[in-house]
Amino acid sequence: VRSLLDEIGLGSERVQMVNLSAAMGARFAEIALEMVERIRAMGPNPLGQGIGESGGVT
Amino acid sequence: MIVAEQKPLAELKAMLDGYRKVLVVGCGTCVTVCFAGGEKEVGILASALRMATRLDGNGIEFDEVTVQRQCEWEYIDPLAGQLSDYAALLSLGCGVGVQTLAERFPAVRVLPGLNTKFMGLPVEQGVWEERCQACGNCILDVTGGICPIARCSKQLLNGPCGGSQRGKCEVNPETPCAWQLIWERMSALGMLDRLLQVQPPKDWSTSRDGGPRRIIREDLRLPEDYRD
Repeated sequence: VRSLLDEIGLGSERVQMVNLSAAMGARFAEIALEMVERIRAMGPNPLGQGIGESGGVT
Repeated sequence: MIVAEQKPLAELKAMLDGYRKVLVVGCGTCVTVCFAGGEKEVGILASALRMATRLDGNGIEFDEVTVQRQCEWEYIDPLAGQLSDYAALLSLGCGVGVQTLAERFPAVRVLPGLNTKFMGLPVEQGVWEERCQACGNCILDVTGGICPIARCSKQLLNGPCGGSQRGKCEVNPETPCAWQLIWERMSALGMLDRLLQVQPPKDWSTSRDGGPRRIIREDLRLPEDYRD
């Protein structure tokens, strides 16, 4: 998915997979915050609303 | 199976430039099982192209359909009624599928979404390897079921050559020496003496040069009056 997002031109940084156990709440919060910061810096989805299957990537 | 892989998105975008509405046509046979052009790949590619062309500012509309087999008239004929809306078809079939569509629907532009690579098999999950070059004159009986035409870099009929090193090919050390494999197989079968018979030059007239090859089976052919 990440390489496809790069090919499309949306940027692979918009998706990330992390393996965590249910006991790693603090680490989960840390990763979520990093992700939010990264996405904010990248700005909104340039496609906006209304594209995808037969319309929308939301 | 026929093994293919998808063309890069950038190449497809350039190919589709200028079209407004495109039908992506998948194939449910070989390219489905090698994960290049089945229903799933059609869906992913169509979505990717929708997004990519929209980001480029020339959003092309993509519809999707997958037929069981692109290389037979009876499977593609049902598409005839749905094609008037489309300026182009992007075929995710092998080269045979692309040409079958183009021949049947000459009024529509038919474009290839895949690069057709070879006839082979998955040797492990995610890895495909060539096994047959369709030379038209099979010698697998002589070589223990291992084809030196497809698998020996030099297509030797009387191998191995002097470049076989520890079972690997000198052309590419990743390639097992086909003649080493043949020797091992024939040895295990107790038939090494067969390899002492020198194979004469192969008749290549059955192979690829000289235009498209045909097979005509009169026992299966319809009488002349009934043919298309």
